[in-house]
Amino acid sequence: MSTVVTRHKGRQIGWAFVAPFGVLFAVVFVLPILYAAYLSLFQDRLVGGMSFVGLANYTKLLQDPQFWNGVLRVFGFTLIQVPIMLALALLLALALDSGRLHASKFMRIAIFLPYAVPAIVSTLMWGFMLGVRYGLFRSINESLGTDLNPFQPGTTLISIGVMVTWAFTGYNMLIFYSVLRAVPQELYEAAAIDGAGQFRVAWSIKLPALRGSLGITVIFSIIGTFQIFNEPQILPSMVAGSGITTFYTPNLYAYNLAFTGSQQGYAAALALVMAAITIAIAYAVQLRGLKPAREQ
Amino acid sequence: MTTPVSSPVRPSPHGRQQSFTDPRRNGVLTFLTALFTLYCLLPLIWLLINATKSQADFVSSFGFSFGDGFALFDNIKELFAYDDGIFARWFLNTVLYVGVGAITSTFLAALGGYGLAKHSFTGKRAFLFVVLGSISVPGIALAIPQFMLFAKLGLTDTPWAVLIPSFINPFGLYLMWVFAAEAVPNGLLDAAKIDGAGEFRTFFQIAMPLLVPATVTVLLFSFVSIWNNYFLPLIMLKDPDWYPLTIGINQWNSMSSRAGNGELLQNLVITASLVTIIPLIAAFIALQRYWQSGLSLGAVKE
Amino acid sequence: MRLSGTARLLLVALVTVSTLAACSGSGKTSGGEGGAGGDTAKLTVWSWDGTVKLAVPGFEAANPGIKVEVVNAGSSSEEYKALDNAIQAKSGVPDLAMFEYFAIPYFAIPGKLADIGPMGASAFQSDYVPSAWNNVKFGDRVHALPSDYGPAALFWNSKTFAKAGLTTAPTTWEEYYQAAKKIRTLGKDYYIAQDNGDLFFLLSLIWQAGGRPFRVDGTTVHINFSDEGTARAVAFWQKMLDEGLLNTKINPWTDDWNRALNDGTLASQNMGGWLTSTLPERAPKAAGDFRVALMPQWATGQKVGAENGGSSFGIPAASKNQKAAYKFLEYFTHGAGLQPRVDAGAFVPNVAVLKSPAFQSAKNPYFGGQQTGQVLAEASTTAAVGWQYPPFFEWARSVYSDIATPYFTTGKGSLTEILKTWKGRCVTYGNEQGFRVD
Repeated sequence: MSTVVTRHKGRQIGWAFVAPFGVLFAVVFVLPILYAAYLSLFQDRLVGGMSFVGLANYTKLLQDPQFWNGVLRVFGFTLIQVPIMLALALLLALALDSGRLHASKFMRIAIFLPYAVPAIVSTLMWGFMLGVRYGLFRSINESLGTDLNPFQPGTTLISIGVMVTWAFTGYNMLIFYSVLRAVPQELYEAAAIDGAGQFRVAWSIKLPALRGSLGITVIFSIIGTFQIFNEPQILPSMVAGSGITTFYTPNLYAYNLAFTGSQQGYAAALALVMAAITIAIAYAVQLRGLKPAREQ
Repeated sequence: MTTPVSSPVRPSPHGRQQSFTDPRRNGVLTFLTALFTLYCLLPLIWLLINATKSQADFVSSFGFSFGDGFALFDNIKELFAYDDGIFARWFLNTVLYVGVGAITSTFLAALGGYGLAKHSFTGKRAFLFVVLGSISVPGIALAIPQFMLFAKLGLTDTPWAVLIPSFINPFGLYLMWVFAAEAVPNGLLDAAKIDGAGEFRTFFQIAMPLLVPATVTVLLFSFVSIWNNYFLPLIMLKDPDWYPLTIGINQWNSMSSRAGNGELLQNLVITASLVTIIPLIAAFIALQRYWQSGLSLGAVKE
Repeated sequence: MRLSGTARLLLVALVTVSTLAACSGSGKTSGGEGGAGGDTAKLTVWSWDGTVKLAVPGFEAANPGIKVEVVNAGSSSEEYKALDNAIQAKSGVPDLAMFEYFAIPYFAIPGKLADIGPMGASAFQSDYVPSAWNNVKFGDRVHALPSDYGPAALFWNSKTFAKAGLTTAPTTWEEYYQAAKKIRTLGKDYYIAQDNGDLFFLLSLIWQAGGRPFRVDGTTVHINFSDEGTARAVAFWQKMLDEGLLNTKINPWTDDWNRALNDGTLASQNMGGWLTSTLPERAPKAAGDFRVALMPQWATGQKVGAENGGSSFGIPAASKNQKAAYKFLEYFTHGAGLQPRVDAGAFVPNVAVLKSPAFQSAKNPYFGGQQTGQVLAEASTTAAVGWQYPPFFEWARSVYSDIATPYFTTGKGSLTEILKTWKGRCVTYGNEQGFRVD
């Protein structure tokens, strides 16, 4: 236990530090969530207005095959995409931090750049580049004699994975990289005196230092992929027959329910159930990892 | 004893690695990283090439080859002239949102993250759980309740409707928490308190300088996410004079991709996208030297 | 060094905050005084039709007390949802909003749109082509004025047709079918048209064939996809799909589509008349190749048209400036503000415009000097009347692609089955929403 924690007089002084964040957070997130929870108990009809339905939205949702279809899809997506992306980010961060790369400054910027591209633009670019008729895949198919199509019901999810990995690997890489930069110098010096090689240093100094940040990136990546929205929302207007439905992901389904179906109460119920599922999974995977090593 | 407070957080001119590790460059490692870099850059190369095409060239030429003419400067001119130069207004709006939003959110995250890392208080676990739970709620479903709340407060259609939500960066808070736990030694804080420094003075004078690399990371993330913020402004703002760039670009793009006789502005959409990411690149390059601060951390401890 | 950096940041923050404070002070404008006579007001107009703005200067000059701000609040569903939100929050409701024809019932039936008939609109019936007027009139109430119109027409690429040995546009669907087969032989990318679940085209085909699948009476909706006209249209299009005569891999309005129109591999489009103004941008290389013709007919010698798209403007019941709003509405859809919009390319269903010699005789260079106005005017006036959209069409069209896509990607199923499933979903949804649907 650290001395700071036990020593100071007012045990509640910590609240003063988190209060400004907390108050705004309540306005932007907590109050709207409470309002959504309230809405989820009502059904809003185009004819007849709002009526109290108790938990009917929830029981309906649990039996809604479209909802579970979307949940399973993002679950499978998360299971594959998040580990790949984080492993890539980790390896890239270690490579950049090793000091053994040519042009490492340039590559560091280049790898982060995709994160800076607005989703609409990135979807536009990828939709074009992967296009079968006029994009790269036409050239690939013509030179290899294949008939690959990156946007058909069986392959669309993989293409989305390629786009998401493109956008967020650099972001996670940068987090790992800045943690590595904060590793105290004397640890390396001690290792050098012990004659440890590059891999030993990576394994016994760098990876342990990354533990806390790995925990957060896992949690936030899970939350992020569970809320995947932009790509499936924009793609159908760009490519034909991608197989993206209005309930392709739970978030897209919530959007369509609330925005074109006037089923706000149902959408609110969906959002809260999704949050419960996300928290359960995040907790199962990694919640302990969230605690920084130094504090434990 | 010189106080550690005054030791500047300054990058070493050569980076720390060279002082003790093997300086040999590794070709294989470079090649593998370069492959990934290519994957990252390919779409941007496409963007760059296509920003040089006129609308007519764009629909007639292959994506990775240049068009018949070089129209980049015409496109930029047209971009800033279109619709009485509304693009410049959107650009300035975005700068305003990003400037105020990123600085405020980073400061709040640093304050909160430090509080979480270095203080224990009743309800800390509950607080963390509420924050984590709240961001697990799909944001799309919250948009309408958020709109209703802001409408009741009379904030919709004003810049505040974009700014206030941007002050909150939960990911930044967590990052700051982890960073503060790693980078701020408890011994230093104890020493400051023995010297009679108050809690907030300790934070500003001792913790903040040590948190600079983390602050820069969070600032950059806030910067980018506010710059690219789309969904909430779309719901909150109906007055084009307050639009950020993303909404404007989307609006132009949807004119081209929606059935009807909307104008086809793909060349402007692509040029606008290019112009939009240039400031982000500049910010990144300007901020990157702050990451090289491992040296000062070590120095403080000696 | 670091100090000056911090100082600079602080300075930036201070400047931006103070700018912000100044701006938000001046930016907050009230909804206007809303004088009873409608002589003074500040109007907010939601429009994704860029030509509406062009009518503002003339209007403000003629009505010095009224200021008009035209705002693009999103296209189509984005705008409808924004309007719904604003009405629910009782804040930020515009004085005029744009609606595609199918979206009017959604707002009009629950009473969210003002009845503009008594303000003078009911006298305009004969000034618009019949099917356009039919879209804005509900019983004895008028809820919007038509602002643009999409008479279904055939845009055909004469160069590609010539390659297949065809020199004239198909006048009947049988000729269209024969032409499709010939064009298909030109090469693997050549098709007469694309379809991967284009609902509005299918509805225009049904519309022209005499099918009236939706019958709406207040909050009661009947859906029937088995009347004779619907059956004929669906069977014909099914044959086109079964024989592989349509490109099912291209979505209209995408980059792929633009390019296929540009290189001539998509030989024709059955679209609304508004395509005239956007086709030159989308297919600049095909300049001089395209021609416009009436939609092919079900029997030789017939002249029956249909509608494919089009929009209108209505006044939300929550607007506080209804009188002034109506003045502007009348001005840009019917009065002196119409001409600048027409000159900028708006295609309007106003009889006076369609019949004017200037419109009829103008030669369109992109269409090889063809007098396209003549064809489109005829397509407009012959469009069949009596079509109705259900009040939940906005939702219905969003789920249509869910149901149609599996067929278009796997080939399993049929249009009839799609329509049957679609009807089932509509019935369930409509009844949940408080309508009586069967």
